[in-house]
Amino acid sequence: MGSVSGAGEDVATVGNLCVTEGALRMQVVETRGLTKFYGRDRGVEDVTLAVEAGTTFGFLGPNGAGKTTTIRCLLGMLKPTSGEARVLGERVTLDGAALRGRVGYVAGEVRAFERETGAWHIDYIARLRGAPAPSALALVERLEFDPSRKVRELSKGNKQKLALILGLMHDPELLILDEPTSGLDPLNQETVFEVVGERVSRGATLFLSSHILSEVERLCERVGIIRDGRLVAEEDVGDLIAKQLRDVSVTFDGPVPTGVLDGLDGLSDVVVSGEATLSGRIRGDAIDALVKRLAPHTLVDLTVAHARLEDVFREYYAHDTEVRS
Amino acid sequence: MSWTVLVATLRQRRWMLLWYSLGLVSYSWVMVWFWPQFQGTEYVDLIERLPEELTAILGGSAADIGTLGGYFETEYLGLMWMLIVSSAVILYAMKAVATEVSAGTMELVLAQPISRMRFIVTRVVGLVIVSAVLTVATFAPIQLFGPRYDIDLPGETYALLYGLGMLFVLSIGGISLALSAGAREAGRPAAIVGGVLGGMWILHILAEVSDIAGWFEPFNLLRYWRPADIINDGTVAAEVWWVYAGVAAASLAVAVVRFVRRDVA
Repeated sequence: MGSVSGAGEDVATVGNLCVTEGALRMQVVETRGLTKFYGRDRGVEDVTLAVEAGTTFGFLGPNGAGKTTTIRCLLGMLKPTSGEARVLGERVTLDGAALRGRVGYVAGEVRAFERETGAWHIDYIARLRGAPAPSALALVERLEFDPSRKVRELSKGNKQKLALILGLMHDPELLILDEPTSGLDPLNQETVFEVVGERVSRGATLFLSSHILSEVERLCERVGIIRDGRLVAEEDVGDLIAKQLRDVSVTFDGPVPTGVLDGLDGLSDVVVSGEATLSGRIRGDAIDALVKRLAPHTLVDLTVAHARLEDVFREYYAHDTEVRS
Repeated sequence: MSWTVLVATLRQRRWMLLWYSLGLVSYSWVMVWFWPQFQGTEYVDLIERLPEELTAILGGSAADIGTLGGYFETEYLGLMWMLIVSSAVILYAMKAVATEVSAGTMELVLAQPISRMRFIVTRVVGLVIVSAVLTVATFAPIQLFGPRYDIDLPGETYALLYGLGMLFVLSIGGISLALSAGAREAGRPAAIVGGVLGGMWILHILAEVSDIAGWFEPFNLLRYWRPADIINDGTVAAEVWWVYAGVAAASLAVAVVRFVRRDVA
């Protein structure tokens, strides 16, 4: 029996079970010192993480950080150089067919048989799984997907819809989604969020890989941040939101009022451009203070955008990475 | 083995298999049709006067080209047929693993509850079926149309042609599948198989004039394929069966082992 602590709470572990606040929960995804090198090239190095049953975990990192490599190790497509991965309580092996029957996987880069139709894919995957796909038709309708068209005729967004249908149609216990909304329009993104949310509410566990902060914020409770192949942080989404940077631009209806944002905690890189526009970068937990400072003034425009993930890393995790490496 | 994967595999290779089979049926029929007109021509006299080395380059055999076996070996089965069936099984073997890995469809399939062993064994069964179809497409037209054109071979001879022909195709396909099973893309393994077969062909020709090249003959897979001997004498040396069966079995076993141990993405 061992123990680890996360998010300020004590967690006792026995094998792949853990006790959190008195409740016994299985660790659905677990890696210990997971390392994968492609020859001399690093994939991931010493990644240790755990995801409990019924929870939602975001795996956040820039492109090339090692997210997909980790997922492929979890699915038994790659053999780890060292360390181990366990999924649904079982050690992952290259030949773990039964295990994959309980997992729904949506790959980051959609690859399908170009000359076959969507309907053929749905039937093929259902046959491989040895059971009809109960949710296939509903997903086809909700995502407004045309299964009669050949894959080579589909746009990137429609290919992504097909990948989602194939990954979710058999109601898996564990959803492993790698950049699931890539290429989808906002309406379909919303549908995907709804579908995934429904699955989670029915007890499925979500392991979501993404480089989009807002996507992870929307769907996940906890987040692991990977950079240069190493897990540099693991925390609650709320904490990440508080840390997260926003790029803010404010245009007043006249000259920028003198000292309007002076001394505002969490604000940096302030630049006044022209007479009326002021821009800067602000921490997520300082948004409320910013709005209150601006409230007495008349604004012509206000934009608040998520800072790029790299900027968040540079601000908060660069030191961690340097120390670990 | 997985029926689902087998049916999908054959469905996705159906056009390739159809066109290759039609080509072989047509070629075999033309060779049968031409046989009566070929006998006693000046062309036969010309070929028979050529040096052995040049005859070998043309796909010729040690057998008299005026005989049925010599005719088929020189004009069809000794070179062109080997090129056709080899290209077909190399294509199948590359698509079976390497192309699917590079295209990413392997990731889609292996994310499902199918074991790697079942998957690759199914692909091996697919190769056996493709080899059988190509062999039948080659020799069935000769058996079917031959009697109309003075070609009347005993059933035992056809059995030897079918059996050894299929083992020959399967051994080339097995080597291709063994290389494909560990590759990330099809270009390199296909080039290696093509290069090795080309090298064997050149060494086989040079063996007529060079002792050094002759030293490699026991290891030369192409040297054992002697359809002229089968057609003329109805015999195949026991070692020939062992060579092709051994190469096919060993290479397919290597393909299975490599695939179940490799990274597939």
